[in-house]
Amino acid sequence: MPCKHYKDALIEAAASDAEPPGELRAHLAGCVDCRAALEQEQALFASIDAGLHVAANAEAPASLLPRVRARLDEEIAPQRRWIQPLIFAAASVVLLFAVFLFARPHSTRPDNQAKQTPQIPASELPTTDVHNPNSVPGTQIVSSNVNSSQTRGHSTLLRPVASNQPEVLVPPDEREALARFVVVLQARREAVVALVTRAKPAKDETASLELLQINGLEIKPLEEQQSEASVGREQRQ
Amino acid sequence: MQELVLVQPGGISESESAREATQADTRREFEERLAESGPLAYRVARGVLRNTADAEDVAQEALLRAYRQFDRLRDRNRFRAWLVRISFRLALDRLRSGKRREQRDTLWSQPEHQPPAATAEDLAASNEFQAHLENALAELPEKLRLVLLLAAMEGHTIEEIASMLGISTGTVKSRIYYARRQLAEKLRCHANIIKTR
Repeated sequence: MPCKHYKDALIEAAASDAEPPGELRAHLAGCVDCRAALEQEQALFASIDAGLHVAANAEAPASLLPRVRARLDEEIAPQRRWIQPLIFAAASVVLLFAVFLFARPHSTRPDNQAKQTPQIPASELPTTDVHNPNSVPGTQIVSSNVNSSQTRGHSTLLRPVASNQPEVLVPPDEREALARFVVVLQARREAVVALVTRAKPAKDETASLELLQINGLEIKPLEEQQSEASVGREQRQ
Repeated sequence: MQELVLVQPGGISESESAREATQADTRREFEERLAESGPLAYRVARGVLRNTADAEDVAQEALLRAYRQFDRLRDRNRFRAWLVRISFRLALDRLRSGKRREQRDTLWSQPEHQPPAATAEDLAASNEFQAHLENALAELPEKLRLVLLLAAMEGHTIEEIASMLGISTGTVKSRIYYARRQLAEKLRCHANIIKTR
């Protein structure tokens, strides 16, 4: 066992890897136990250092860097994966919105109700001959009891009629009268055709005037007529 | 009349390509440091965790974290110090979480580069001593432990450690000294070396 007086000095000397100070060196020269204790203490620190060296300098696994590089690729790749679909999705939405804006009817007027003509019973409506070229262009009269909510919700229901058929703006209270007028018009198809058919343009021909043929004129004197009239008056008197 | 904005894909691709070019520069710059710094992160983590699998996970996470924040690092010369701190902090967090303690293998008890023991008794004694050293190291204060690990790593001088941790060389030396003393105190009873009379 080392001397108790030199214990700390021995540990200090071993821990600092330095030469023992003069007094300790002199003691070590004469004390075998302290010399052995110093060697053991130096061996302890050497073991610690060796263990630390082993622990601190372990070879990194070969899979470390490839794994890190793969993760780095994944870090970058998701950004690319997300950005392009996002751009295309945004562009598609804008395009669809633009198409919707251009394709929707421009008939969202508040007086939409006035465009609708009252419904006439089918029996009263004359059938229009489709194959007859002289038939009147369909003036289709469709009406329904439209309330405002239905109009908003189903505003496109009457669109084909409004877009394909002639439209007439009529005050609501005159719709029925108009309907009956149309019925009458359709009954008198010839008149309607005459009204609707466009007049053929007159040929551009120079007008030729024929001379009037006047036969011989008989000219009677006015005096005889006046004398006859005066004779008549005298007789009445 | 509503106005429509026409998105020109060409403009977006230009900004995206500029961003990708910046990313590529960052990646290249980071890659230059990766081969050297990867093992450093692993060693720091392993010094704390004493487990190969855990240390690899932590090193990988530390490197990824360093990459994500690489642009914020103004002085690129301090990358190693920065990475050491990240690795050390993550390793401590992992150690404290204790989720994988049961699965931890005992690489510390079977060191890869330890000189071969002469006999089976020496090997058993060596493994036992390493286990005690592991426990003693884990009980060291964090500041002492990190300095001791860095000092034990090959190629790290006192000046480099001081620069890495932003402390003076005197502080590094004193921390190494006290760390070794504390380890010796803990291991002496196991080594049964010194008995005073």
